[in-house]
Amino acid sequence: MGKVIGAFRAHVTWANPKGKWPDIIFSTRVRLARNLAGAAFPHSAPAAALRGIRETALETAKATRLFARGHYLKTDALSPLEKKFLVERHHISHNLASSERAGAVAVSNDEDLAVMVNEEDHLRLQSIASGFSIDAALGAVNRLDAELGRLLPYAFNAKFGFLTACPTNVGTGMRVSCLVHLPALSRAGRMPGLLESLSRLGVTARGIYGEGTCVLGDFYQISNATCLGRSEEEFCADLDRTIANLIRLEISAREELVIPGVRLKTEDGVFRAYGLLKNARSVSYGEFMQNLSLVRMGAAMGYSIRTDFGTLNQFALLMQPAHLEAMAGRPLGPDERDAERAAYIRKNLN
Amino acid sequence: MLCQSCGKNDAVIFLKAAVNNKVTGIHLCGHCAEEKGVTFSGLDAEPLNLSGMPGHFGGYFKEFLPREKRTLRCRTCGQAYHEFKESGLLGCPGCYAEFAPQLTELLTRIHGSCAHTGKQYAVTGKTPAARPRESAAGLREALKKAVAREDFEAAARLRDRIKELGGANG
Repeated sequence: MGKVIGAFRAHVTWANPKGKWPDIIFSTRVRLARNLAGAAFPHSAPAAALRGIRETALETAKATRLFARGHYLKTDALSPLEKKFLVERHHISHNLASSERAGAVAVSNDEDLAVMVNEEDHLRLQSIASGFSIDAALGAVNRLDAELGRLLPYAFNAKFGFLTACPTNVGTGMRVSCLVHLPALSRAGRMPGLLESLSRLGVTARGIYGEGTCVLGDFYQISNATCLGRSEEEFCADLDRTIANLIRLEISAREELVIPGVRLKTEDGVFRAYGLLKNARSVSYGEFMQNLSLVRMGAAMGYSIRTDFGTLNQFALLMQPAHLEAMAGRPLGPDERDAERAAYIRKNLN
Repeated sequence: MLCQSCGKNDAVIFLKAAVNNKVTGIHLCGHCAEEKGVTFSGLDAEPLNLSGMPGHFGGYFKEFLPREKRTLRCRTCGQAYHEFKESGLLGCPGCYAEFAPQLTELLTRIHGSCAHTGKQYAVTGKTPAARPRESAAGLREALKKAVAREDFEAAARLRDRIKELGGANG
C-alpha cells in the first residue's frame, strides 16, 4: 500500500535470530539523544527553525553515506497508516508520529540504523541488532554519532555532557535496551518482584513499544534508567550483566516447567497455543502475542514444533495492525484485521 | 467482576502494564479501557493513558525540584524555571548554564551524579546559523512569482513562512 511502505523490506533483517541467546533476547537497541548547539529544543523552537533543522539533519544523514539506498521521510508527508507502520517497525516513536512538528526520519537500507528528527530532541540516533548484541549495536551507533557530530555542531557542555530537552537524558544521552522474552518467569509469577529488584539496580523495564506501553506476549524492554555519571561502556557493561542474569533466571524457570508433575501442564499449554494459532479464524494482536509467547517458549524448550524463531519473530512484527493493512493493500476494520491475521498465520505457520 | 475504574460496568479486559518498573494490573470495562487508549483491534500500539493508574509519571519533576526564591529565566530562550518544573523540558541548551545550580541538585537526584564522564565532544560542524537565512523580502518576491504562475500550493507555503518570520527578518 503506497510507495513508502512498499519501499521497506517484507522481511525485517534485525528480527532474524542471529545474536547470542536468540530464544530469549529478541533484539538489542542503542539510542543516543543529540541536539544542535545554539538552537532551541524542538518543543520551544519556531516552526521555521524546525524546518531548517530537518533539512540540515536529512542532508547530513545523506552525507554520512551510512544511509545509502535508505529511506528519508518527512512525517508531515506521511499518511496515518505509514506513520503507524514506522512505529511498529520501531523506526519512529508514538510521540513523533502524533506530533504536528516538522519531523523526519532517515532509515538505513538494512533498517538497522535510524535518525529521528525533531522528536523531543533534535536528533535521536538509533542502532538495532538481532539478539543479545550490545557491543555491535553500540559500535554501530557510535560510528553514526561520530559522522553526524563531525558535520553538525552538537550541544555539549563539559560538565553535563550532551545536552537534551529533558534532564533525564542528559550526559551520555544514551539508552541501551534489550527486548527480552521471559515467558517462564512470567508464568511463575516472578516478574513483579524481579522488576522491583531491577529498579533498585538502576534498570528500567517497559512494554514492547517503550514508555507507557503494555507488556505483550511476555516481551519486556529492559534498559538503563540513568545516563549521567558513568561512561557509555560502563552503562552497557551494567546492562550486559543484568541481561545475563535474566537469561540465567529464565533458563532455570524453564527447567522448573519440565519437572514431573508440571511437565504435562506446560506441554499442554504450549500445544494448545500452537493449535490455536494453527486453527483460529479470528485472532487479535494481544491474543496472538500471548499464544506466540508459549509457542516460542515451546520451540526453545525442544518441543516438536515444526517452526523456527526466524518465522516466529517475523510474525511478531508482520502481524501488527498497520503491517497487516499494508499486506492486504486496503484499509481493514478491526474484525477484518483479526480474520486476515488468523488466515496469514494458518497459511505460514508450519 | 466490576470495572475497577468506574465501578459500574462489568470488566471485560485485564490491562497489564509495566509502570516505573512495577507490573500494574487493572480490570476495566470496554468504555474505560477505550478512555485509557486501549483498543480491541489487537492492542493497536497506541501509548496508553496511564494517568489514572498507580505510579504514573505526572508531577515527577515538581516533587523533586528545589523551590526557587525568585523567577529565574533563561537569557537565551526566555523560558522560566517554573515552566520547566511544569513541563519537565528545558527550552534550549543555554538553560543548562543558566539553571546550573538548580539542575546540579536535580541531576544528582535523578542520575546519582551531576558530572558527565562519558564520551567527549569538540564542536567541529557548521552552526545552523551559518546556513543562509530566509529574508521576508526574498520570500515576498518568491510569493509574487508563485502567484503569477498560479502555483497556489507553493504560494500558501511561502505565505506561512513569511508570517512565521514576522517583521524580525524583513
